[in-house]
Parts: sequence; structure tokens; C-alpha cells
Amino acid sequence: MNYLIHLLIYLDIYVIVALSLNLVVGYCGMLTLAHAGYFALGGYVYALLAITLGWSFFPALLAAILIATIVSLAVSLPAWRLKGDFFVLGSLAVQALLFSLFYNWFDPQAPLGSWSNLTNGPFGIAGIPKPDVLGYNVADPISFLILATLLTVICAGIFWRLKASPWGRVLIAMREDELAARGLGKNTRLLKVQALAISCGLVAVAGALYASYIGYLDPSSATLNESILILSMVLVGGVGNFRGPIVGAIILITLPELLRFLHLPDAQAANLRLACYGLLLVLMMHFRPQGISGEYRLK
Amino acid sequence: MQILINGFISGIAIALLAMAFQMVYLPTRVLFVGLAGLYTLAPYLFQMGASELGGWMGGLLVSLCGVVTLAVLFEWANHAPLTRKRASEGAHLIASLGLYILVVQVVAMIWGNETRTLRTGLDVTYAMGDTILTQSQLLMGGVGLLLLLAVLAMLYLTDIGLRLRALADNPTQFALYGYNVDAHRLLAFALAGVLATAASLLTARDIGFDPHTGLNATLLAIVAVIIGGRTSLIGPIIGGLLLGLIRAQVVWQFSARWQEAVTFLVLALFLLLRPQGLFGRETRIETTVK
Repeated sequence: MNYLIHLLIYLDIYVIVALSLNLVVGYCGMLTLAHAGYFALGGYVYALLAITLGWSFFPALLAAILIATIVSLAVSLPAWRLKGDFFVLGSLAVQALLFSLFYNWFDPQAPLGSWSNLTNGPFGIAGIPKPDVLGYNVADPISFLILATLLTVICAGIFWRLKASPWGRVLIAMREDELAARGLGKNTRLLKVQALAISCGLVAVAGALYASYIGYLDPSSATLNESILILSMVLVGGVGNFRGPIVGAIILITLPELLRFLHLPDAQAANLRLACYGLLLVLMMHFRPQGISGEYRLK
Repeated sequence: MQILINGFISGIAIALLAMAFQMVYLPTRVLFVGLAGLYTLAPYLFQMGASELGGWMGGLLVSLCGVVTLAVLFEWANHAPLTRKRASEGAHLIASLGLYILVVQVVAMIWGNETRTLRTGLDVTYAMGDTILTQSQLLMGGVGLLLLLAVLAMLYLTDIGLRLRALADNPTQFALYGYNVDAHRLLAFALAGVLATAASLLTARDIGFDPHTGLNATLLAIVAVIIGGRTSLIGPIIGGLLLGLIRAQVVWQFSARWQEAVTFLVLALFLLLRPQGLFGRETRIETTVK
């Protein structure tokens, strides 16, 4: 039973991630590889505020969203000029920068959270407290699941509203033909900045949830591999609509669990799982480039 | 002086891989991330060949054959069918990324995740004036430079080179003149395989290897291509050397842990201020990529 709850919490976290990435990949048509960086950024901000300043869950979460939103300018400003493959490479640069910040901003002599040791580098931050919501400490798995599901529903609701709004339709117009959208007087630069800010802000929610659930955070959650995993989630499920990313998150969370029943040695299992992701990506590109239930093919 | 030479030599390794990347990118417009998989595979095949056939000749033979075969397979089974379906650049990139993940994980499953070395014991060093070079560095500098010159000579002096450059310039017209586009694309991938093997083996001899070195090396190579200019064939070489020099300076001035950050900062600056690179033609970014 606990195993099932654990899986559901993971699913909640990754549904938020996949939906937020869908806003950028599916509605703006921009392939970003920096999302794991923002995921980890949310986790780090939450962890530091909760540990060193003793903030409770919601203020720390809001701060994480705010900071991720501001840092999202690092991807969205280059997006003014870069298109296609070169935007992908630009986002890769942001990813590498964020990772090396998390990995290197530390000093063994200084205490955690001081200016010279912000992230504890490769050793990671341990002992992140469980969420403290309105004086109630969410420690047991069931109540954590309820909190995670609540947040997921709120995030999904936000995406649902955005998708149905005029703003969402302008976004799709920009994806289909940016020049035409600009010709109609739409400010596409501002749109990109807004979309990336919302997406990065909400992925920070997932990061904070993850950090508080696991209780430990290290730079490995900000690696390029993690970004690729998130991206493959969205691409396998399909982009450009609401159910695609959810389908993708479900598949990529349950697939490794199914492999677990094959009783492979532990050392091989992790590699086999990643190899499956790789194969899945290649096959999807050949036979169903829009994803399992997506509506939009990447340009 | 020591730092300059170290930077120059590591720059040659980057330049080799950057050239491999450009070799595929220009004629086919595929952002060949799968190159990282080839780079990863080469030293393992070398070790296998060296122990089975004996000596470094055997190793070189096995790794060259293996990597080139795999490179050709990538094109034949993946990129060529995708191109025929008129798949988008994004699809090529993602499929290539998928292949990279597949290769690396299979390598890790067969040979394990730990770091290995190609040489035994300490490296022989040579002192020249006030600079000290290791045998690996000399090998990398010498073989690397020769290979780069050979590739440039092939591209600019021979018939095949001319045809490859023509394919890079305009694939449709190239096909209209009756040349076999598919065969030339295969050739480009095979050449990339050779260059990647060379870069990988020379680096592995110097600093060892593990299954995850490939992607970082390839990212560096891509940064070098962008700095040097995407439309140029000399660009990647100059870009690679420049990047090597900059990275060596960073190690000297600050610390090795900021190497990556500075590298990608340089990339970001170039993308914003001079997106066509040092040797690129001045065009709008939308029109260069088609």
C-alpha cells in the first residue's frame, strides 16, 4: 500500500512537470532542455528557506515560484533571437550553467546556507523538513499524497484555464506562424517570456514537492539526463493538448516499475530503464512523431 | 607558456570532435548528438581489440571498424528514413539523442560504469625548455594536427571533398546533377566516425574514460562549432582551439570547477552577440537553417 502511495506521489510530481513543459514545447513549439534545472532550483530554494530560515511550506513555495520565474528570463530572453535547434542549444547552455551553480557554489568550511556555501555542492542538502501547512506537519504518506494531489489539481487547473483562454490561442498562433502572429500585432516576445515564466514557476512547485517528499536534494536532479527524461515524458505522451503529457508521465513512471518485476540485478536495471527511454524516443520519432495522444509535431 | 600549450593541445581534441560534428551537420543538417555515443564506445572497443588481437594496432582496427559501422548504421537506419519522411529537425535531434542514450546504456551494461584508463602506469614526460609535456599530449597534438590537416586537404583538394561541400551547399541541386545523395551522406557519417574515434582514443589515453564522458565532450564540440561558425569548415577547428585556450586560462585564473560555467557563458555570449560565429556568413538566423 505504501508502495502505491509512493508511486502516486511521484506521479503527481511528474504530472506537474510534464504539464509545465507542455506549455513551452507544445504551445510555443520551443524545445527546452533546461527544465530539470528549474525543477532543482525550486527544490533548492524551498530546502534552503525551510532549513536555514525555518519558513513553513507555503511561503517557501511562493518564494521558490518567484525565484524560478525571475530566473526563467535566462531562457526566455535568448528565445527572442534564437529559433529551432539554436534555441535548444541555448537552453542547454542554461541547463549546464544552473547545474554547475548547484554543483560548485559551496565551501566545505562555511555553514550551509551562508553566502559562500549556498548549495552544499556535490554532497547535497539532507534533512529537508516535511511540509508544514498552517501549523499541521504533513509527515505521513497519505496526507502528503493529499497535499501533492491538491497542488497537482491546482496546477492542472491553471494550465486548463490558460489553454482555453485567448492568451492560449495566441500562443498556438505564434507556434504555427510567428511572423503572421506578429503581423497581427501580437507581441510574441512578451508571450514567450510569459509562457516560460509560468512554466518555470510551476515546475518549481514540483521541485519543492519533490525536495520535501524525499528530504534530500543534490545536483543530480539538475543533470541533463533528468532534463532528457522529462522531455521524453512529454514527447512520448504527446504535446499540444492536455491529456498527452499526463499519459506520458504515467507511462514513464510505471514502465520502470514494470521492469522491476523482471528481477534484474540492480546494477543493470537502472541502465536498462534508460536504454528503454532511448529506444522509445527513437521509435516514437519514426512511427508517431506527435506522441501517443498529442496533437502537434515538432517543427 | 605551459598553460598556453596545455590549452592548445586540449583544444585540438575539441577541434577534432567539432570537425566530426560539422562533417555531419553541414551536408545533412542533422544535429548529430549520437556522436557522443560513438565517442563513448571507441575506447571500449580499443581495449577489447587490444586484448584479443594484441597490441595497439589491433585495438585501433577494431575500434575504427566498430565505430564507423555504427555511424553508418545510425544514418542508414535512423536519419535517412527520417529525412525521407521529411521529419523535422527536432525529430532528428530527439532520435539522435535517443540513440546516444541507447548506446551509452548498453556500453554501461556490458563494461560497467567505472572509470578506466588506456595506458598502464604513469605517463612518460618530456621537458622542453620550461614546459613539460606528457607522451599522451604529444601524441594528441601530433596525430590530432595531422588528422585535421588531412581532413581539410581532403575537403579542399580532392574530388570527394568538392562533392561533399557541394552537398552541404545545396542538396537538391546536388541530386539534380545526378550524384548519389544517400551515398555521400553515408560517407559524411563514416568520416565523422573516424574523427570521433581519433578524438576519443587520444583523450582516453590522456585522462581515462567512463561511459558518461561522451556527452560533455560533444557539448564542448558543439560550442566550438557555434563559436567558430556553423557554415564554415575551418570554423570548428579555430573554435575548438580557442575554447581549449579559454578553458586552460580559467583553470589557471580561477579554478577547474568553473570551467563548464565559463564555457557555456561564452556560448551564451556568442549566441546573443554573434550568432553566426567567427567565420560564419552574415545571414539572418532564420534563413541559415532550413
